[in-house]
Amino acid sequence: MNASQDPFAGAEDAALLVAYANGDGQAARYLMARLLPRVLAQATRMLGNGSEAEDVAQDAMMRLWKIAPDWRQGEAQVSTWLYRVVANLCTDRLRKRRGAVPLDQVAEPPDPSPSAVAQMQTQARMMALSDALAQLPERQAQAVSLRHLEGLANPEIAQIMDISVRSVESLTARGKRALADIMAGRKAELGYDDDEPE
Amino acid sequence: MTMTNPNDDMLDDLLAQARGASPLPSDALMARVIADADAAQPRASAMPVARPGVIARMLDTIGGWPAVSGLAMATVAGIWVGVAPPASVQDVTAAMIGDEVSINLFATDLMIDAGAFGDG
Repeated sequence: MNASQDPFAGAEDAALLVAYANGDGQAARYLMARLLPRVLAQATRMLGNGSEAEDVAQDAMMRLWKIAPDWRQGEAQVSTWLYRVVANLCTDRLRKRRGAVPLDQVAEPPDPSPSAVAQMQTQARMMALSDALAQLPERQAQAVSLRHLEGLANPEIAQIMDISVRSVESLTARGKRALADIMAGRKAELGYDDDEPE
Repeated sequence: MTMTNPNDDMLDDLLAQARGASPLPSDALMARVIADADAAQPRASAMPVARPGVIARMLDTIGGWPAVSGLAMATVAGIWVGVAPPASVQDVTAAMIGDEVSINLFATDLMIDAGAFGDG
């Protein structure tokens, strides 16, 4: 989709959503091009698993299509709403993961080249981080992920989570401390004894 | 003491790695999302809206039946004024044209004597 030919260039996401609800099929395509990459990235960072993240991204977009006829312009930003939906869908999945068999048991790579080993280690680390998020209370996990994985500012997180900025500060501080404690037990397993960050 | 906690360093490194993960949506995912969008898109009403006929559209153009009745009244009034103009209008006509104009719609020589039929 060429941006110079975008008939919705300059229009807000909400305007495209209303156009979609009014029967404009093209609006959905342009809206997907704008929103899906970020939705997928947020889900991937929280879940540490590509296929699970794709399912969440599809589910979040489906919820957007369904709410389109009832969307009230000016009340909320589509991006804010989507951050909340993805965070909720991810914490739902993380909750189910708690009682399940750990997914972070990474098998030996069939290709033992250094790049393949490094890739496996990165995968293992991302999954370990996601599993650690799963052990936090859900609101803490959401606040930590929005702050430290999405890089959002506290006022924006407060809007997404519908809480005060002070509550966001408290949740992120406690959440990050708890996350560090959980991850400390897996230091050697994740290759941090001989691979210290610079 | 400003020593950094090595566990915090490790977590910061992990978070930074995770932040760098920005996968692009696959073609398959985009196809699924668009299929959902098409399926969920609100449709226009299934009942076809009847298209107004020629007369209805013409009436709409001039303002509907109230406008038609107004036009009819104006037409009748105009004819009546032409046939039997009030004295004031006659004076105006005479002043503008210079003479009184009188048209006899029912010339006496053409009038049928009802009695002629009776006589057979």
